[in-house]
Amino acid sequence: MSYDDILAKVRTTLVDALNVDDNEVTPTARLKGDLNAESIDFLDIVFRLERQFNLKIPREELFPESIFSGDPKFVNDGKVNADGLIELQTRMPYADLSDFRKDPRLDKIEDLFTVDLIVRYLESKVANK
Amino acid sequence: MTLKDQVAIVTGGSRGIGRAIVVALAREGAKVAFVYRGSADAAKAVEGDVAAAGGVAKAYQGDVVEPATGDRVVEAVLAEWGRVDILVNNAGVIRDKLFLQMEAEDWNAVIGTNLTGAFAFCKAVARQMAFKQRSGRIINVSSVAAEHVNVGQANYAASKGALNSLTRALAVDLGRRNVLVNAVAPGFIETDMSQAVRNLAGEDNLKKLIPVRRLGKPEDVAAVVVFLAGPAAAYITGQVITVDGGLSLGAVSG
Repeated sequence: MSYDDILAKVRTTLVDALNVDDNEVTPTARLKGDLNAESIDFLDIVFRLERQFNLKIPREELFPESIFSGDPKFVNDGKVNADGLIELQTRMPYADLSDFRKDPRLDKIEDLFTVDLIVRYLESKVANK
Repeated sequence: MTLKDQVAIVTGGSRGIGRAIVVALAREGAKVAFVYRGSADAAKAVEGDVAAAGGVAKAYQGDVVEPATGDRVVEAVLAEWGRVDILVNNAGVIRDKLFLQMEAEDWNAVIGTNLTGAFAFCKAVARQMAFKQRSGRIINVSSVAAEHVNVGQANYAASKGALNSLTRALAVDLGRRNVLVNAVAPGFIETDMSQAVRNLAGEDNLKKLIPVRRLGKPEDVAAVVVFLAGPAAAYITGQVITVDGGLSLGAVSG
């Protein structure tokens, strides 16, 4: 399945789960910042993707919302440190961290949850199925 | 009819307040599945009474204290009617004892039915309501005893207090998906369950505690449940509505 095929299915899923318009679901759209997703929506999205793609998405794998919980090993003064960035890249290899590295505030992590992240995550899941 | 074609599930529906709730929801046009534990004859009678009045009610045997009951009943109802619009967690038990005589078994039995049973049914309908339908009403039948405790009710009062907190917590979690969660808190209602208290205290003495000077009828509570299930309550969630004729005001008569 190509990136665009997966994107088309993800778009359908997000339109249904979040009551948004087709054209809002662009690869760069952030689930929280742009599509107004809340925590219950993340859960719904995971369930819908599991059904749509017929695969299992382990809890906290796609959206590790509580990734550090302020662990001092990874976070100092509300900013993710060098070890934290490595941890983040390991946990979310699909995420594009280039912008986040410039301003690694903990509360900005949610900006990493974009439509593109979901598509790239699913690409690897589908390939490994 | 305010609930035409809606589907409701009521636990503890064969007797007392639950029975009145089944009848009242069915009268408003809802198809009502109700759960009963032991009173098979009473359950049959409820089905018959509702049918005679032109409504639809179907009995399911089950004990809400068993963890699988919620899923089993909800699955059966979805298979039969395809949706669940209203859940009324009404099943409740008492095992009144002075605290010094109360055993863990008494505690667990009451918490298991009144609180954990409600939790299990909420869990069983939550995905359907929040994700598939994006609408639903959950109404928990609590008690004024959550706040105004009688002697020997540590287990019961704790279960109802926790049920009120569960009501508020679910209202917060599910509000985004248009699932509204409220509770009703009855006072002294004329049911088999309150018979022991009524005998013990004497009805005339109890009435003096109640500003409207009568005990409640199951229908008084059912009417509020119908309201909370219906279109008029579309903007109410996380509330505990007291239905007690003023009992909880704690007024001194005279």
